Amino acid sequence: MSVEIILFFVFSVCTLAGASLVIFSKSPIASAMSLVATFFFLAGIYVLLFAHAIAALQIIVYAGAVMVLFVLVIMLLPLKDLGPAFRFTPARWIGAFSAATILSGLLYAAMQWDEYLKNKLPLGTEATNAMSPETLSRFGTLEEIGLAIYTRWLFPFEALSLLLLAAILGAVVIAKARI
Amino acid sequence: MSAFSNLVLSPMLLPAMPASTVVLPSFSFHEFQPLLPAALLAITAMLLMLTEAFSVSKSRSYQAILAVVASAVAGFLAFQNTQLPAGLILNGRGVMDGFSSWITLIACLAAGMSSLLALGFFRQRNAERGEFYGLLLFSAAGMSLLSVSNEFVTLFVNLELMSLATYALAAFWRRGNRSVEAGFKYFILGAFASAILIYGVALLYGATGTTQLDMLYHVLPKALEDSPWLVWSGIILVLTGLSFKIAAVPLHMWTPDVYEGAPTPVTALMSAGIKAAAFVALLRVILHIGDSSAMLLHILCFLAALTMVVGNLLAIAQRNVKRMLAYSSIAHAGYILIGVAALFAGGHLGNKVGVLSATQMANSTAEMLRSSALQGILFYLLSYAITVVGAFGVLAAIERREDDGAPNAWDLSKLSGLATRRPGWALAMALFMFSLGGIPSTIGFLAKLYLFKAGMSAGLIGLSILGVLASAAGMYYYLRVIVYMYMRPPTVTETGIRHWSTEFILAVSAVAVIVLGILPGPLLDWLSQASLFSPN
Repeated sequence: MSVEIILFFVFSVCTLAGASLVIFSKSPIASAMSLVATFFFLAGIYVLLFAHAIAALQIIVYAGAVMVLFVLVIMLLPLKDLGPAFRFTPARWIGAFSAATILSGLLYAAMQWDEYLKNKLPLGTEATNAMSPETLSRFGTLEEIGLAIYTRWLFPFEALSLLLLAAILGAVVIAKARI
Repeated sequence: MSAFSNLVLSPMLLPAMPASTVVLPSFSFHEFQPLLPAALLAITAMLLMLTEAFSVSKSRSYQAILAVVASAVAGFLAFQNTQLPAGLILNGRGVMDGFSSWITLIACLAAGMSSLLALGFFRQRNAERGEFYGLLLFSAAGMSLLSVSNEFVTLFVNLELMSLATYALAAFWRRGNRSVEAGFKYFILGAFASAILIYGVALLYGATGTTQLDMLYHVLPKALEDSPWLVWSGIILVLTGLSFKIAAVPLHMWTPDVYEGAPTPVTALMSAGIKAAAFVALLRVILHIGDSSAMLLHILCFLAALTMVVGNLLAIAQRNVKRMLAYSSIAHAGYILIGVAALFAGGHLGNKVGVLSATQMANSTAEMLRSSALQGILFYLLSYAITVVGAFGVLAAIERREDDGAPNAWDLSKLSGLATRRPGWALAMALFMFSLGGIPSTIGFLAKLYLFKAGMSAGLIGLSILGVLASAAGMYYYLRVIVYMYMRPPTVTETGIRHWSTEFILAVSAVAVIVLGILPGPLLDWLSQASLFSPN
C-alpha cells in the first residue's frame, strides 16, 4: 500500500465521520465545527488529486469565509430545543427508500470500480496514464485553471457572474424588513 | 475517440499543450445571436437595479414599463432567431436551434406579462421596487440561457440563475406566514434539488469523462456497458433534480405552497416561464442521455401518468383557487411529459414498450414523429403560458388588500357572483378555465389535441388515452370556478381596484386564447419549422 492510498483512507474516513457529526450533533455550533473538519479533510483529498489550488480555495473560502457566516447566523438565531426533529412519516419512508436505493446502486458501482479501472480508462480521458512528471507539475495550478476558465469555459464563467449579481440583488431584497 | 479528444473537457488533457501555445477561443458573431435576447434582458435588469439607487422621481411606474419594453424587444429578437439553423455555439457549451429561440420567446412573454400584472398589483400595495423587475428580468435571462445550454455545468449555472432570482421574487412581498413559508420552502427544496442534479452530473462525468451533452450522447452507450450502475445512478439523480423543477409527481409537494404564498404576478411567471424553461432542460438532457435506452422511456411514461392523475385528483379537492391552479399546473406538466415521451419514443419504433404504451402506427417515420411532438410541446407551452398568466391575472385583480396574507384570500367564495360585479373579468376567467380544461374553440383544446395526437402517433396510445381521461376529470374543477362566478349570488360586495395594466393583460390573453384557438394556422406553421439540435 502506498502512502497515497493510506492518506486517502485517512482523509475519506475522517470526511465521512465529520459529515455524520454535522448531522447528528445536538448543538448547532458542534455541527458547524464538524463541518469545518469535513472541509479540511476534503481539502486533503483534493491535494491527493493534485488539485492544490482547489484545496487552498476550499480552505480559504469554505473553512474560512463560509464558516464565519454560519457561526454568525447561528449566533443570531434564537435557538430553542424543538424536540426530536425526526419522525417517520409516510413521505419520509419513501424518501428513505429512494435514498437507500441510490446508495446501494452507488455501492455496487464502487465494488465494480477496481475491475473497471483495470480494464478501461474513463472514456473521455484517455490520457490518464500518460501523465509525465512535467505535466503533473503544472496540473491543477492556478495558471492552468485560469487558462481553462477564460478559454474553454468562458460561457459558463460569464453566466456565473450574472448568477452572482442576481444572488446579491435577491439577498438585498430579502433582507429588507418590509416592502 | 481521437476525433474529439482535443475537445473533451477533461482537465487531464490541458497540460498536454505548453502554456505559450494556448489556443484562444475565437467566436464568430453569429454564435452570439442566440444570446442576444438574454443579454438585453440582463442589461435592462442591471439598469433597473441602478434606477433604485439613482432615481429621484417619486413615481416608479416607468420601471415596469421598461421591463415590459425590454421583454418585448428581447421576444422580437428571439422570434428573429427561430429561423436559425441548428448547430453548436461557443465551443459546444451552447446550442443554437429554433426550439431554444421559441422557449426564449415564451420566457420573454411570461416576463413581460407578469411585469404588467405586477405594475397594477404592487402599485395598489405601494410596493413597487426596481429590484423586483430586475430580478424578474434576471430570471427571464436565466430561462433564455438555460434553453441554449448544451453542457451540464452551463446548464446548472443558468438553471440556478433562473431559480435564485425566482426564490427572491417569491419572498419579495412578505405578508403573513404563507409568503415567508413560500420563499423559504422554495429556496431550501430548490437548493436540495440542484444538489441532487449536480451529484448526478458528477457521477455521469465520472463514468464518461465529459459533461458536454452531445459528447455524452456518443460515449454513453459504451459507459453503460462498462459501468451500468454508475451511469444509471447518475441518470436517475439528474432526472430527479430536473423533475423537481417541472414539478412532476412525486416531487411536486412544494408547488401548491409556493404558488399560493408567492405574490400572484410571480406565480404567473413561475407557472408560465419557469415551467417552459425547465422542460427544455429536461428534454435536452433526456434526448442526449437516454436516447438509446427503452428503460428511460418506461420511466418517462410512468412519470407522465402519475403526474397527470395525481395532479388532477388533488386539484379536485381544492377550494382555494390559487392552490387549485397550482395543482392544475402539476397536471399540465404531466400532459407535456406525454409530448416529451413521444419525442423520445421516435428512437424506439417497432419496440413494444410497456403497458401504458403500445407499438407505433405504421407509415410514420422517426423524423415526422419528432417534428410533430416538438410542435405539440411548443404549442402547449405557449398556450399554457398565455392562459395561465391570464388566469392568475384575474386572481391578482380580485385580490383585496384586506385579505393580504389571509388563508382564505383565494377561496372560491371570493369569486361568487363575479359575473354581476365585473362581467368582463368573469368572461375572461371563464375563457381561461375553458382553455385550461380543453374545451373546443380555445387554444387549450388545440394544444391538447396536438400533444395527444403526437403521443398517439408515437405509439403511446395507453398514455394518451389516460391523458384524455385525466383532462376530462380536470374539467370538474375548472367548471366549478365558472359555476361560482355565474350561478352563485355575490357574497362580497367589494372587488379589487381596476388598473389599466391588469385589464390590458386580461383582454390580450382572452383575445389570444380565442383567436389562436380558432386560427392557429400561422403559429403552427412557424412552430413546425422549429429545429431541434440533435447529436446524430
